Amino acid sequence: MSGDIRVAVDIGGTFTDVVAFDGASGRIWEAKASTVPADFARGVTDALAAGEVDLSAVAAFIHGTTVVINAITQRRGVKTALVTTRGFRDALEIGRGNRPDMYNLRFRKPAPFVPRRHRFEIDERTGPNGDEIRPVDLAAFGEIADRCREDGIEAVAVCLLHAYANPDHERQAAGRLRELLPGIAVTASTDVTREWREYERTSTAVLNAYVQPILDRYLANLEERLAAAGMDAPMFAMRSNGGTGSFQAAREQPIQLIESGPVAGITGAALMGEVIGEENLIALDIGGTTAKCALIEGGEVPVTTEYKLEWSPLSPGYPVKAPVVDIVEIGAGGGSIVHFDAGGALRIGPISAGADPGPACYGRGGINPTVTDALVVSGLLDADRFLGGRLKADASLARAAFEPIAARLGVDVDAAAAGVLALMAEQTVDALKLISIRRGHDPRDFSLVAFGGGGPVHACAIAAELGARRVIIPPFPATFSAWGMLMTRPRVDRVQTRVLSLDRLDPAAVEALFAEMEWSSREELVRQGLDPDAIGPSRRSLDMRYKGQEHTVQAPIDGGAFTLDGLPQRFHERHRRRYTFALEDTPIELVNLRTITVADIPLPAIADAEPVEGARPRMRRVDIRHAAGGAAGKIEIPVHDRGALAPGTHLAGPLLVEEAATTTLVLPGQSLEVDRVGNLVISW
Amino acid sequence: MHSTRTSDVFTREIVRSKLLAIASEMGVVLARTSMSPIVYEVLDFACGLADAEGRVIAQDNGLCLFTGTFRPQIESILRRHPVAAMRPGDIYMTNGGAGGGTHANDVAIVIPVFAGERMIAFSISVTHWMELGGKVLGSLAPDSTEVFQEGMQFPQIRLAREGVIDEEIVEIIRANVRLPIMTIGDLTAGIAAGRIAERRLDEIIGRYGLDTTLETFEEILDHGERLALDALKRVPPGVYEATDAIDGDGITTDPIPVRVRVEVTPDRMICDFTGSSPQVQGPVNCARGALMSACKTIFKGIVAPQAPSNEGLFRPLEVICPEGTVFTAIRPRPTGWYFEGSAFATELVWKALAPVLPQRLSAGSYVSLAACYIGGVHANGEYWVMGTPQDGGWGASIDDDGESGLIATTDGDTFNYPAEVVEHAFPLAMECNRLNVEAGGGAGRQRGGFGTIREYRVTSPEGASLLASLGRSATVPWGIDGGIDGTINYWEVVRTNGERQSGGRVTGLSLQPGDVVRLVTGNGGGWGDPGERPVESLFDDLLDGYLSPGELERHYGRAAADVLALENAR
Repeated sequence: MSGDIRVAVDIGGTFTDVVAFDGASGRIWEAKASTVPADFARGVTDALAAGEVDLSAVAAFIHGTTVVINAITQRRGVKTALVTTRGFRDALEIGRGNRPDMYNLRFRKPAPFVPRRHRFEIDERTGPNGDEIRPVDLAAFGEIADRCREDGIEAVAVCLLHAYANPDHERQAAGRLRELLPGIAVTASTDVTREWREYERTSTAVLNAYVQPILDRYLANLEERLAAAGMDAPMFAMRSNGGTGSFQAAREQPIQLIESGPVAGITGAALMGEVIGEENLIALDIGGTTAKCALIEGGEVPVTTEYKLEWSPLSPGYPVKAPVVDIVEIGAGGGSIVHFDAGGALRIGPISAGADPGPACYGRGGINPTVTDALVVSGLLDADRFLGGRLKADASLARAAFEPIAARLGVDVDAAAAGVLALMAEQTVDALKLISIRRGHDPRDFSLVAFGGGGPVHACAIAAELGARRVIIPPFPATFSAWGMLMTRPRVDRVQTRVLSLDRLDPAAVEALFAEMEWSSREELVRQGLDPDAIGPSRRSLDMRYKGQEHTVQAPIDGGAFTLDGLPQRFHERHRRRYTFALEDTPIELVNLRTITVADIPLPAIADAEPVEGARPRMRRVDIRHAAGGAAGKIEIPVHDRGALAPGTHLAGPLLVEEAATTTLVLPGQSLEVDRVGNLVISW
Repeated sequence: MHSTRTSDVFTREIVRSKLLAIASEMGVVLARTSMSPIVYEVLDFACGLADAEGRVIAQDNGLCLFTGTFRPQIESILRRHPVAAMRPGDIYMTNGGAGGGTHANDVAIVIPVFAGERMIAFSISVTHWMELGGKVLGSLAPDSTEVFQEGMQFPQIRLAREGVIDEEIVEIIRANVRLPIMTIGDLTAGIAAGRIAERRLDEIIGRYGLDTTLETFEEILDHGERLALDALKRVPPGVYEATDAIDGDGITTDPIPVRVRVEVTPDRMICDFTGSSPQVQGPVNCARGALMSACKTIFKGIVAPQAPSNEGLFRPLEVICPEGTVFTAIRPRPTGWYFEGSAFATELVWKALAPVLPQRLSAGSYVSLAACYIGGVHANGEYWVMGTPQDGGWGASIDDDGESGLIATTDGDTFNYPAEVVEHAFPLAMECNRLNVEAGGGAGRQRGGFGTIREYRVTSPEGASLLASLGRSATVPWGIDGGIDGTINYWEVVRTNGERQSGGRVTGLSLQPGDVVRLVTGNGGGWGDPGERPVESLFDDLLDGYLSPGELERHYGRAAADVLALENAR
């Protein structure tokens, strides 16, 4: 490599986005190509070509991919077997036994990824403190390996009881399986997680094994194609923890890529907050089918190991004990269909028109009215300049789709569309409030960062109703995820369960555990080719609880050697904030140790936006009564091109700002300022 | 739909969304402020809003048991405290079967909400208080014979008058419970949840007006009714009957016969339990509030499983049962383990209607929550107790096998206890957590799901004791349409010398170090003639070990070798 180009590639359902940064010139630019589902690497090379990225000058390649999650949700992983402790092969099928869809009297759990015939039990036992109770019966593996070979097994997961406390038995078992089954992917649960709860750890190991050969083939193909095209740069995959890892690390732990794409927008929002000095943010990403959000407090992107794949309020999903940015789905997106339920009440979603046929206004045969159609009816989206002019929308189709809704309600089409937009904002606000309160926050202390194709047009109405401090629309809102990827650092998260009573634990032993976690994290980063000097000290935290509780509260701890000084007080305080009370006389238990280790590589500096020649706005008639109240009917408001808004510009609402693939609506009484890096900052 | 209401439909939808959010926020506040794990981890609570007559407008509940007690609880308060006597800032509380609810542990905190001088709504939260005094720690003795052994009773008392809490009442509570900090914490949490609802409702009225808010109440109820009526049209009209038995009341193992006659018309469902056993001595009785809840659970499962709960949804439901039966017990009969009784009210209606509602209802399941406690005293004098309901087998349905290892209908989003957590927290070693495939049963074209077998070996040198209440320990889950019945639930203790003991309900069985407690739950009933089960399903069942060659021959009339040969030849 001879240049200094950092390039991020995000493969989405429809488009593959590229955002590139040239360190030499400071230029940031984006490009797109169609995603090629049969050959994702083709979409990547197409997008790079479209962006005229000089591959020989690329110094770092960062990739967000949906290969892992797609292989799982489409059940296209490999035939997988499981080895467990004797007596526990059914734990995977029993799960936690819960029925979230309480009144469904024919409830079925999601089916396990390994059928019972391929779940093998072995004699061995480790105790809860990691002591060996019975050694591993290694002689039994011959028969298991034979069965695997006969049945065409391509991957094996191993999960043994209490392995989080001592992984030795799992290592013996995995080692034996690798000897007996060369070429077969073997995952020991503790390779991925050192947390307790056998069902969750088994599920994680199984899913990791299930996709390992798939991701391996995909990355190998991509490496080959990019090398052939002249690229010779370190390649990183976007991890669900909001950091990156090398392709090699991704091959070992593909499950770390489960939310590879969506999290980048959240990290991007946090980073933008850092640039402009906003630490408390609600990141809101409104896409085609759903809206997603995350709460960023004190600049910290929340990361959880409670992720559940395919979870919904009606399904327990599949637990994945890998660190994943805590993103919550909160409702409707642009393609969500407006309809009446069996009781005659108006509803938005959850059914979506998707990308095909898409909203009625796309003219691809969709006849159901969607949120996007409501935006077209109201005039907020310009049918003639749809998706930055790449697609022409047909306003008459949008109006026609709303006719039946309007007729049934006894109102005109404009009123029906306005009502739907008001309802959409309200439901999003209710969901955001509940999430804030549930996490012990007041939404009024937060600013809203909105992105995704649908975020900016709804953001100001939502934020005003929510009582948020202000709204920030970053540059490139529609490809913000790829931008966020460009701005991420290599990162390793570790969690280690160690259940100890605080009044009886030896601080030196806890320090030794932390030191080992940090050492192994550094070692992993060094193996990924990172400069040891660039790896900062790990950030440590502890999950603690009152004895007798099941749930824990996470408390960060200071650097330096571990000490108990002030720890109980800090826990009481955290617990009080989260749950409103503290039990100061109840013994405290330590449950998990956590570390986050980041390599401090140079990131693109966010340059001040270029001054531009201010152009005169156009005027357009729009219906904004859904957000502004007031009388029915359309009013004329100015429409600005985002490219024509210079930093420092001040404008008073109502107004629209249009750019490629998205539109921002600023309401009457609100004012817009363009900050020095080009964010649209709306306040009131 | 052109309504006569003056507010517009979108505003009402927005207000409706806010009202549902109030119920959810109450739940969040309650779970956050309670100090009791049964609240914030087992979700053993419910909260919501009702109108001035006690009709439920919005509800948030974590268990099915709470589906229908709000209204009887509020009505019980209204009987003692007429609306005219209520003032802003008042707080009322009630509990137990006699107070319109379930058992003493479930305490309702009810706050009337005023718009100016007019009382317009109630906020209500019902929480399982961990400790209320009485015969045993936790107030739930499986062998209690009168309600006085089951802890304190709050007969529709006024806890606060015009914003001032009667501290004397709080002191009485504090003095009568074993864990006063936790119990008073539950009280505080219930009040906090109710107050937040009061405040939010006030905000809605301030912004959208009282008329719109009250019109939205009506619209929510009417909408619920329309949903139910729409679904009821698809239930074939007729009269359907079922009989069953509850296996023992905790005092004796005598079967307790119960029955239902369900009449379905295009706009009504009447469940008549006349003829069911008189109330019994032990605590498996339930009172009318719990019976209503049990009927509303199955009714909702039939008409609108995923819709939010409100009184409108239940308008077409009528429940008939004379006083003094096992489903309508009268004070001072005990109701501590009411869920072991009320589960059978749900079960009866289910059994009566399953043949005609195959798209909604499966064959018989293991029914009982199968709650078990193993506990003891450490050498240092500290108490320990591992208490958990057991998952079990659910029945097959017309086009699907039954689910295995799933929590009973009375509960909901309730999690089982992982072995790794059990072994850390208690002097117990968990030997297995597996499906109860050996018991067989549940054969059919679609087969029943499997129960679970969980074995706990006592490692405490001080020994331990077992308390268990497993229903369906004599009568088996029913099959449908030629499907074979399922199998029973039971506990079993295997002593170190190999001796075995087993049963359904037991209190204080002494355990020695090394003894193994096996908790076994039953397999659900099958659906359809086993002879019609496709050979590929039998083949899979054989390979997966769900079916032994013996069971295959006995119920499906096929030899294993033949099945393997047939399938391999395909």
